[in-house]
Amino acid sequence: MQPENNLSLVTEQFMYAEGVPFVSFGMVTSTWNRRHILSLSDFTPLEYDTVLQTANSFREVLSRRTKKVPALQGQVVANLFFEPSTRTRSSFELAAKRLSADTLNFAPGTSSLSKGETILDTAKTYLAMGTDMMVIRHREAGVPQAIAQEMDRLGVRVGVLNAGDGQHEHPSQALLDLFTICTLIDSEYPSLSVLKDKKIAIVGDILHSRVARSNIWSLTASGAEVHLAGPPTLLPKLFAEFVQESTASSQPSELKRHNPELGSPHMLTNPTASTLLPRRLFLHWDLEPALKNADFVMTLRLQKERMTSHLLPSLREYHQQFGITRDRLQLCHPEVKVLHPGPVNRGVEISSDLMDDPNFSLISQQVTSGVAVRMALLYLMGSSKV
Amino acid sequence: MTNELFQQVRLVDPVSGTDRVTDVLWVDGKIAAIAPEIPDVPVDTHIRDCRGLVLGPGLVDLYSYSGEPGFEERETLTSLQQAAAAGGFTRVTLLPDTHPAIDNPASVGWLRSHSQRPESNKHPAAAAVPTLDCWGALTQGVKGQQMTELAELATSGIVGFADGQPIPSLSMLRRLLEYLRPLKKPVAIWCFDRELAAGGVMREGAESLRFGLPGIPEMAETSAITSVLECVAAIGTPVHLMRVSTARSVELIQTAKARGLPVTASTTWMHLLLTSDAVASYDPSLHLKPPLGSQADRIALLQGIQAGVIDAIAIDHRPYTYEEKTLAFAEAPPGAIGLELALPLLWQNLVELGALSALELWQALSMRPAECLEQPPGQIVAGRSAELTLFNPRQVWTVENQTLKSRAINTPWFGKQLMGRVIQTWS
Repeated sequence: MQPENNLSLVTEQFMYAEGVPFVSFGMVTSTWNRRHILSLSDFTPLEYDTVLQTANSFREVLSRRTKKVPALQGQVVANLFFEPSTRTRSSFELAAKRLSADTLNFAPGTSSLSKGETILDTAKTYLAMGTDMMVIRHREAGVPQAIAQEMDRLGVRVGVLNAGDGQHEHPSQALLDLFTICTLIDSEYPSLSVLKDKKIAIVGDILHSRVARSNIWSLTASGAEVHLAGPPTLLPKLFAEFVQESTASSQPSELKRHNPELGSPHMLTNPTASTLLPRRLFLHWDLEPALKNADFVMTLRLQKERMTSHLLPSLREYHQQFGITRDRLQLCHPEVKVLHPGPVNRGVEISSDLMDDPNFSLISQQVTSGVAVRMALLYLMGSSKV
Repeated sequence: MTNELFQQVRLVDPVSGTDRVTDVLWVDGKIAAIAPEIPDVPVDTHIRDCRGLVLGPGLVDLYSYSGEPGFEERETLTSLQQAAAAGGFTRVTLLPDTHPAIDNPASVGWLRSHSQRPESNKHPAAAAVPTLDCWGALTQGVKGQQMTELAELATSGIVGFADGQPIPSLSMLRRLLEYLRPLKKPVAIWCFDRELAAGGVMREGAESLRFGLPGIPEMAETSAITSVLECVAAIGTPVHLMRVSTARSVELIQTAKARGLPVTASTTWMHLLLTSDAVASYDPSLHLKPPLGSQADRIALLQGIQAGVIDAIAIDHRPYTYEEKTLAFAEAPPGAIGLELALPLLWQNLVELGALSALELWQALSMRPAECLEQPPGQIVAGRSAELTLFNPRQVWTVENQTLKSRAINTPWFGKQLMGRVIQTWS
């Protein structure tokens, strides 16, 4: 493998030469050793940087007049979306098509799941059609992992990508969020390290959010300070232990005045973990301390059924307490940007005018980044040596 | 019936507190002699070299599920009996949640007539067919809405009353305990607040957040136990608390027993071996109700057994077909099989590692469950008839379709290699 600094040249090289190390941008020189992408909990800094830099190359491809490369020509990517989805599925489908893969789409409405077929049967059917990669979404946690285990057990080299499983994880969303903010800071060489010591607030229904969970893993790996904010019913204090190893029993050492039980930093140095930096995660049951001097604010979708399960009194009160408005952004860093994984409940998580204000909102950049990042993930999985 | 001489076997008999290596002679279904060496045996005696093997009274399971009637594809009475015998059990007590439910004397009669030991079972090599007893339902159809005809059911041959499901209202529980008081039958209650647990599939904690699975708070069990204990204190009907799974529950039961409340309690074998971090694999066979707890819970349960707060270890064998269980973790029905796996795994992980003594384990699997059922506990004493289990703690085997007698394979140990296997049972 040869170090290579010319971005466009490298792009051409890794597009066409199968078996050649795919990324050789100065510092990062690596091969991809992950067949499945199921969770970000054990992603290494090198893997994050590889994804970011590969996605950046594809962003360049997508800005060309001909936005298609033959990287996955002849391969089959099956989108198995057991849970209905339009946005994520479209993004994956476009990403696969831009890589010249053939795509298959599975939707539960047209499936045989109601005919006694198990999820593994469905996966095996697509396997028998010659599928090389499966992109899987399911309303319950663990399904992509179960299918990946079954593929490994069968001894076939099929990569499984988790496109959202229950309340567990949504790695591609977190990686596109990461790419969006990293390229904003350094558009030429986006890397994890550009987020070091940035303050990032994640606001809203953390409990039910797979996006928040994946983002906690990726952002705490970068050395950023991650501040979670939400009402106690949607942000249980157990989240303080989220990034701890299960054996660690670190207790809050420092208490803040406004939240006697919370607000203490959970800084954990973890020698065995995938990151060398301590993960810094803070919890807040009110919004202001989370927003204070924040560089980025990530809002989350609030499901309307939360009111019927006694988790919130009303959407009105939620917006009063945790809605992101122009006024509240005054607390943040002057150049603060707001993200949302979509679809947005206008006037609930975020005020309507703010959402459309390009000075603050990164929402449309997130969608654009999504295609490049998903191209990168499919490409890397296709090049996996394991 | 053949005669057996167990030479140099490790005899584990909880009733007499025996744990030593000895010879045991079994003649015509009775223990003829126990002595360091038995030189003279009847002519047709099968002499077994039992060095390294363990002989104990037959194991007694407090509660497990059959598929039959209604779900024979999961398990038949015959396959259940074979599985139980292969696991060292000589008595199994079935929960009434079948289809139809065991909620009337006719169903009890049907079950008893279909699980009798066949008279032809005299073949010397054949494992003893375990006795199948049953719990009579507390509520019609085990639906928790209307009482069964409890007094009539009490005389129909059931060992006691249990739904195996939580009683949904305290007023109903109160009236049941009042009505049952004069019937003098064991009553087993699973304390679990379904409202607090709503939607949950594993124990609430840092792991449930990490795995993205809805949590069941510990208080779903502890608040329900508190309520039941208050009812028992006021009404006086003895109650067996099923499936105790938290450290706090052990404390509550300890306090209740110290106050003199007539309660007994059991946990399940899986709760003594696994904790919620195992759910990282999303294996649907680890979806249990109550869910697996923390390491602190597991330790408290073990200490509870040693202290006699937790009387018994139940198997709670719950067979499901492959297609019923091959779903997302949260969507798969809770439960796992265990009759053939419990003794080897408990022995290997608890006795071999020193968490429980051999006597403590055998007591919780044999003597105490019998006592909870108000049955005479099995014991191995010269001159008495006995149910026996001969166990080889060193035999290595793999959990597979071919090695399991159960029709179901829903266990996290499927495909794994275990050490320890029951050689035979006698009764």
